[in-house]
Amino acid sequence: MDNTGKRKKLVIIPAFNEAESIVETVRDIRENAPDFDFVVINDCSKDRTLEVCKKEDIKVLNLPINLGIGGAVQTGYVYAFHQGYDIVVQFDGDGQHDARYLEVMADSLVKEQADMVIGSRFIEKQGFQSSGVRRIGIRIFSFLSQALFGVRITDATSGMRMCNRRVMELFIRDYPRDYPEPETVCRLLRKKYKVIEVPVEMKERLAGVSSISFNRSVYYMIKVTLAILIERLR
Amino acid sequence: MTLQAKVIIIVFLLFVLAVIVNMIRQRRLELKYVLLWMGCDIALIILTCFPDLMNVLARILGIQSPMNMIFFLGFLFSLIIIFSLTVTISHFTAMVRKMAQEIALLSDELKEKTKKEE
Repeated sequence: MDNTGKRKKLVIIPAFNEAESIVETVRDIRENAPDFDFVVINDCSKDRTLEVCKKEDIKVLNLPINLGIGGAVQTGYVYAFHQGYDIVVQFDGDGQHDARYLEVMADSLVKEQADMVIGSRFIEKQGFQSSGVRRIGIRIFSFLSQALFGVRITDATSGMRMCNRRVMELFIRDYPRDYPEPETVCRLLRKKYKVIEVPVEMKERLAGVSSISFNRSVYYMIKVTLAILIERLR
Repeated sequence: MTLQAKVIIIVFLLFVLAVIVNMIRQRRLELKYVLLWMGCDIALIILTCFPDLMNVLARILGIQSPMNMIFFLGFLFSLIIIFSLTVTISHFTAMVRKMAQEIALLSDELKEKTKKEE
């Protein structure tokens, strides 16, 4: 099964105020995805995230100023690229994601020669399915990816995404600051990169709040939709 | 408002919108910071297309001519955009300062380390 053995694999864990869940997240990766190295990107957390990581001897890149989720993740891509990793995966630090799926995703990436593998909640519709309002948004993005780029992505907002060096190079050059996921998936589709999805289960977050609060969802939808439309014009 | 004024204003606003979109496309503008510009531009287009809306607004605010209303709105939108820029600049100032301090600490740390090694 494991034909990804020789490849260097890294998990990027962007963390903003995840002191309560980061240790559990790392334990999950150590236990269920031992082939993967990992690095926490501390995006200027106001809680004890940095201290907790240092105490537990977790590798952490500490950003001196808050760069937002996009900037934090991009830092991880820059690090992975320069350290010569072949495969890199984003993984939330709040306990939503399940490290058991990392090997499966890596296998699909290699076997299907994909450029990106997205962990999707909506293929087998198991586990935590996100709240109603957010699901509508996700469905709109799914429709947009189909209509504009001809590929249906069921979970474009998923923060559990694995990619190869080709995509890393692209992301290092340009990555949106806020709400980067749907826009960057569409960028890959426009460039005819191969994006596939594998079914995963997600849990409700252990701690922390979503980067997208309810009253921000309207702004979120407008901004991301516009970004996708402009991506089509590029 | 005369038809002539209406057409000129709408063409101008559409042109501005096209320029903005094109600049985002070329990554010379960050979408986040121009959303307000696009919003104001579109609001002005809607108001110009449907002057009745302006009549209502003008009456509520006690402004006699809808044309004055559109100038007033344009002025108001400009102020909002300028203010949002001031907010953004303040934010950046704080960020640059923090970054400079961090670099100072790092270079000091590095100096101490190389000293020890010698």
